[in-house]
Order: sequence, then structure tokens, then C-alpha cells
Amino acid sequence: MANYHPNDELLMSFAAGQLPNALGLMVACHLEQCAHCRTQVKQFEALGGELLESVEEQQVSPELLEQLLDKLDDSPCVPAKPEVIARMEIPRPLRRFVPTEFDKLEWTGMSRNIKEFDLDIADTQYKAKFYKISAGQVLPEHTHEGNEFTLVMKGSFSDRTCDYHEGDFILADTQTIHQPRASMSGDCICFAVMDAPLKMTGFFGRMLNPFLR
Amino acid sequence: MTEASAPTLEELLIRIAEHKDRQAFVALFNATSSRLKAFAIQCGANSNDAEELLQECMLTVWRKAHTFNPKNGTAITWLFTILRNKRIDFARKGRYDTVLSDDLWNEEVGEELETEVASDLEAQVARTLLEFLPDEQRQVVFKVYFEGKSHSEIANDLDLPLGTIKSRLRLAMKKLETLAKEQSTWLIIILMTNF
Repeated sequence: MANYHPNDELLMSFAAGQLPNALGLMVACHLEQCAHCRTQVKQFEALGGELLESVEEQQVSPELLEQLLDKLDDSPCVPAKPEVIARMEIPRPLRRFVPTEFDKLEWTGMSRNIKEFDLDIADTQYKAKFYKISAGQVLPEHTHEGNEFTLVMKGSFSDRTCDYHEGDFILADTQTIHQPRASMSGDCICFAVMDAPLKMTGFFGRMLNPFLR
Repeated sequence: MTEASAPTLEELLIRIAEHKDRQAFVALFNATSSRLKAFAIQCGANSNDAEELLQECMLTVWRKAHTFNPKNGTAITWLFTILRNKRIDFARKGRYDTVLSDDLWNEEVGEELETEVASDLEAQVARTLLEFLPDEQRQVVFKVYFEGKSHSEIANDLDLPLGTIKSRLRLAMKKLETLAKEQSTWLIIILMTNF
């Protein structure tokens, strides 16, 4: 059972259907494992139901019901979905976006001890990656330029005083300085979603942001 | 034999699920379509798109009524989730490289709530609790649900400090919780105190 959870702001936006992006997928992955947050989301959905109850009605075209009744017996035209093979290691919400089990992914090296895999989710707002920290290894101390959300998918890591395990959801912002260390018992794999860095185009743009490579 | 009172939305859904009852479908349509359309418009759809979305929702109601579980929440909440999901997929035009509602919610798994919502369903009042909220609190709730604004964006929109937005939402949740308890309708949002 997870000990660290998305905040109510995120859970409410998720229940409202306003996080249909990489961050939404991450919340969905957390919910797969967290009954506590599932209950919260149900209650925010009930609030959505209240809103639907309370909106001021809008006249519907009179012919719409007739058209609808004609369609009821049509078999639903379901577009052929790409087949998704159940891969138990990958949480259900991510299966369409992750081609294979963790071991077989094409990890690219930032260094020997930390590898990453870019998730291809058409999302203009966030970048999504998996990180893999080798057992017992520590990342250099760092901070973030924007918000970074992390979900532990496998293994565990510790950061100063906190231990994070499978299913834990962590929000780091520009105030957070951290130095995560994977536990000795195995590699730690995390799903990370971050505000996409501003794309600086042109010469002066780059000059203004010395941290862009 | 006395005339039966109008069936509830829950009863209509169950009739659709069990008997493919067209009359029940028409009754459900008449009871909810103008609000489903209005909700879509509140979310930014034009009238045409809102009606297309409404059609999609009602077809889903017809086909998926069996996934409605009254132990899980009210019919209107179930309709809200359908509209929410259809709106996402409609906006994405079903593009598979994007996040679709199926990825976010697993509709086939209707997990039952641990709280005692079910027993309170019958007592559901028609008038909504939201009407009791002060305008300024309701406005913040609307901005989250209809406009998808984050708290800091709402603070910008309204030119107010972030702390004010958070406290308005917190107050709104507290108020709804108190009202729900008083009226012994559904046990709304009891856990939510830490906005």
C-alpha cells in the first residue's frame, strides 16, 4: 500500500477528466494500487454528478431522439484497436505506450548507474520517462526547473529522510533539492513526468538559458 | 392499484440493462439530455459538438447500462463519468497515440465503494447540494470541472492569491460535507480536508 499520494488538487482534476495526459496516466497508475485514492476519486466523481444535476438545461434539437432511436440497433463501430498484450509488470494504463517488459526496453544511458527510457505519449504539456537507478546507486544532488512527478514502479529508493516504495507518488518542485539512492536489494524503476522545458529557439533564447545544452 | 410514481434514473438504467427497454431509454433521454448537453457546453463545446457528444453518451448508455452498479454511486454520477470520458475521446478524435479514456479508467471493473453510499441512494434529493454554496466557492469548483484549470491558473484568472483559491475549495468541500450529513444524502467527500 502506497504511503505517498497525489494531492486533492490532482485527484479532483483527474476525476473531472481534466488530466488526459501523461500526468493523468501517472495518477491512473497510482490508483491501480491505492484503494484510498480510488475512494477519493469516486467522491470527486460524485461531485461531478452533482454538477451535472445542477447545470442550467439547454434545449436539445427535437429530431435528435428519433435519430438516436434509429441507431440503437446498429452494432457499435469499434475502430480496430491495436492489440495490447497483457504485460503484468507494466501497469494497465501504460500498456499501450510501453512496448515490452522493463528488462527488454531499450534503455539509454545517462551514466552506468542511471538509465532512462522516453515514453512516447503525444502530450504537449509534459514529458514522460522511465528512470532506472541501479541497486545501491545514488544520483547526484539536483533540483528541478519545473514540477516533476515521480511514481515508483519497481524497487524502492530513499531520499534524505524518506523511503519510497512501489506505488508511491512524489511531487518535486523547484524548491526540492534531492539525492535519491536506490535500495541495495535491486534496481529501482520510476515513472517520471515533468513540465516540458520551454523550447528556446533562436540565438538569444539559448543565451538566456545557460542550462540548455 | 395506485399509479406508480415516476421511476428513478437508477430504475431506468436497470431496465435498459436487463430488458433493452426502449421506453426506459426514452424516459432517461428526456430526463437527462438537456443537462448532458448543457454540461458539454459549459466545458466549451459549441451546440453541434455538444449534441454529437450527447448522442455518443446516450449510445453508450444503451450499450453499457449493464456496467452501472447502483452500489457504486448514483445514476447521475455514472452519466457524468460517461460524458467525461466521451469528451476526452471526442477531443482526441480517437487518436491512439494520445491518452484516451480507456487508459485512465477501467470501466469493466466496477469496484464497490467502501463507504455506505448505497443505502443512501433512495434518499437522494433532487435539489443539488451545490446550490447551497456561496457563489465564490461554486465558481472555483466550476473552473476545475468545466475549464480544467489548476489552482494557480484559477488564482491568475481571478487575480487572487493562490491561498485564497485553496481555502475556497476547502470551504466548499466542508460545506458540502456538512450539508450531506445534515440531509443524510450521500456521504460526500468526508475525507477531504487537506486542500
